[in-house]
Amino acid sequence: MPGNQDPLLSAKLADNLQEIRDRLGNSPDLIIRKFELVTSLIEVAAIYINGLNDKDIVDEFITHIMAFDTLGGDGPQLNSVNGIYQFMKGKALSTGEEKVIRDWKELFAALLSGNTIVLVDGLAEAIGGNTSGGEVRAVTEASTQVAIRGSKESFTESIGTNLSLVRRRIKNANLWIETMKIGVVTQTDVAIMYMNGIAKESVIQKLKQKLQGIHIDAILESGYIEQLIEENKYSPFPTLYNTERPDSVAGNLMEGRIAIFVDGTPFVLIAPTTFFMFFHAVEDYYQRYDISTLIRLLRFMCLIISLFGPGLFVAALNFHQEMIPTPLLINLASQREGVPFPTFIEALLLEVTFEIIREAGIRMPSPIGQTVSIIGGLVLGQAAVQAGIVSPAMVIVVSLTGISSFATPAFNMALSVRILRFIIMFIAAFMGLYGMCVFSFILIAHLCSLSSLGIPYMSPMGPFIPQNQQDAVFRLPFQFMKNRPRLISQKKHNKRIR
Amino acid sequence: MRKEVIGTNQLFAMIILFELGTAIVVPIGLESGHAVWLSILLALPGGVLLYLVYHDLSRQYPGLIISGYTRKILGRTIGWPLSLLYIPVFMFNGSRNLREAGDLLIAASYDRTPVFIINAIMVIAVMYILNKGLEVFARTAEIYLAVIFVLGFICSFVVIAAGLVDFKNLFPLHAADWRQAFRSAYPNIWIFPFGELVCITTVLPHLKESRLSGKTGVGAIVLSGILLCVTHAIEMSVLGEDVYHRATFPMYTTITLVNLANFIQRLDALVILTLIIGVFFKMTLYCYAAIAVTADLFKVQDTRKLAVPVGVVVLFSSFISAENYPRHMEEGGVFLRYILPVLCAVIPILLFIVHRIRKRFGLLR
Repeated sequence: MPGNQDPLLSAKLADNLQEIRDRLGNSPDLIIRKFELVTSLIEVAAIYINGLNDKDIVDEFITHIMAFDTLGGDGPQLNSVNGIYQFMKGKALSTGEEKVIRDWKELFAALLSGNTIVLVDGLAEAIGGNTSGGEVRAVTEASTQVAIRGSKESFTESIGTNLSLVRRRIKNANLWIETMKIGVVTQTDVAIMYMNGIAKESVIQKLKQKLQGIHIDAILESGYIEQLIEENKYSPFPTLYNTERPDSVAGNLMEGRIAIFVDGTPFVLIAPTTFFMFFHAVEDYYQRYDISTLIRLLRFMCLIISLFGPGLFVAALNFHQEMIPTPLLINLASQREGVPFPTFIEALLLEVTFEIIREAGIRMPSPIGQTVSIIGGLVLGQAAVQAGIVSPAMVIVVSLTGISSFATPAFNMALSVRILRFIIMFIAAFMGLYGMCVFSFILIAHLCSLSSLGIPYMSPMGPFIPQNQQDAVFRLPFQFMKNRPRLISQKKHNKRIR
Repeated sequence: MRKEVIGTNQLFAMIILFELGTAIVVPIGLESGHAVWLSILLALPGGVLLYLVYHDLSRQYPGLIISGYTRKILGRTIGWPLSLLYIPVFMFNGSRNLREAGDLLIAASYDRTPVFIINAIMVIAVMYILNKGLEVFARTAEIYLAVIFVLGFICSFVVIAAGLVDFKNLFPLHAADWRQAFRSAYPNIWIFPFGELVCITTVLPHLKESRLSGKTGVGAIVLSGILLCVTHAIEMSVLGEDVYHRATFPMYTTITLVNLANFIQRLDALVILTLIIGVFFKMTLYCYAAIAVTADLFKVQDTRKLAVPVGVVVLFSSFISAENYPRHMEEGGVFLRYILPVLCAVIPILLFIVHRIRKRFGLLR
């Protein structure tokens, strides 16, 4: 017997119950229901944790498992401990998820994940049945990834609900789920889901290896997993996608990607990702291709504005005045007449103010959220211009940049763009357009060097894959979208659409 | 270490960016007068043939770069010192490109920034990308190829739309013009930019489907030759022979003339952008070639370690080699006439012939 295993249960009920109480520190939510069997006077106890279980199911489980214990009924009369045990085992089995527990470790794992445990005096084995339930949040509308058209469902904190939400969308035996527990202390349930036959075997293996390599006390959100399995830890760009929309997960599974579900969070991770994925919204597929393509192009334009907007303005005013048409230049110069700061400082001031308003707006209790926007937008913007601290043109540039950054569907990508914007502003102030241009070489080379579970991040642009162009920058009509992403999915690339 | 692999698309992008590099912005084939576009077309077949020589040598010695098969063909005693010649030439050529970009930038809008700073920033980017390896470089090239095409399209469109093109500047072509065009095509344009492709021999062994390297390379060279021809024809037709030859950067001068509806004007930034992109990729490929040859000759395992030393040498030689721009151009003329033809054409063709003879007479070990 391996030494690290917990000791076995004792045969005495009283000892066992005492041990359970001791180990849980006499916790008040531990419920122990003790009975004496009417027929044989043997002591039996049912144990569960209050709140983790559905009360009705617990009751049903207990009555079901003790069905023999009726005086004078037509049920079997059982007097021996062994007979009772055999009966219970059979009955419990018929209720679905049951298990026979022999050691303490197993018992606590079962108890704390919502099982009801039945102990019988004189028996060194316990029977557990899954009665988990209790309060969970209902499936509601997605709050972070809103779509005008499309499913209104979003994931909840319960992993079981989440898995079923995707199952309901893909009714296929090839939708495979594997579960594991991660987190030495928290023992969090983590499940990976993929389409067998579409997802690449090597990618699945790689992901599993990475997940099994995680050694951490607690997993409280999928963000923990994301940061622990990322390949490029020092890159500002996210290499895992997260979503709270089941339809988005289903769509990505069908392209051969893998979804990672973590219990306790509505955000499901998707890997492997590509850069372009972060600019796709589920709605792109629900709307007609023409508007979807144009909107995607608009999003890339917004990306460029939010990355380079203030930098470009600073560079043009400091280094390349000849680029600005003369009337506009005169106009800008007259606006800046009373402004005491250099353009870069002016831009930095406004950008930082904008970031403050944004952060405060998120953290603020919602009833007073209005105040922030009034103070921030009206008072600061208007008054700062009138006081001559910033020029009106700069306010326009910074607010356009801010709004553009919200047009990115993936919030985590918008965050990395937010960081880079400041670096680019800084470079623009020192080296003008040339500096920005060289920095963009470094940026794109960096993006090309990233990979997500071994898949190049910039595919299908670098490496260029002609067959996959239908769904990267553009979204072609469905009759042209016959190929799955070549690097991500298995050999058979053809979708069966016709 | 895992061998780095690039695809045919990536090779295609690298060759086009390399060919367009600086050649699209600076004046080329100075002797051919207004028939410069004709010279480019005349030099194109020579460039293709030269590439086929490189391609054939790579196919005969799979997995070996130029210094590798030079030693195989000519023996270690001759081959090693001969290959050594390539390292300074690659680096010097890279530094010349850097110098040209730096000077254009200073002329355009950085008149108060030292050339050292301007060049150093570019070199930092080159070192970064070389440190990431050839695969990353190739992927980046693919993305920038699209950027270059968009820029080129916008530039030519506005120039044509502004009604600046005057075909009188391109014609007539007399017999004397043909002769002149031919004289400037060989060896000048043949070597710059087509012969410079000798450094692609260091990339060819990394190609995934090596049998496609011929087709891909020839396609890329023909396309880039046509693009060069069209661009220079537009520049010549807008500026006329006189201004074209006096301008340091004819493309820059051309674009400054554009004024569409008093709204689209001052597109100089686009030209500068094109030049920076071209120079960047050309220089990176030169530095990569220098690194590859060095690593091969001196048996350096991790090529990435050489990125910084090579970058530093290129940076310093970029502004130490010539005191001013006219001097730089003069040096370029000498370099183009006496040194580059030897390394780009004479040595590879010699290798090709020696290889054939030895193969014919069964002298290959």
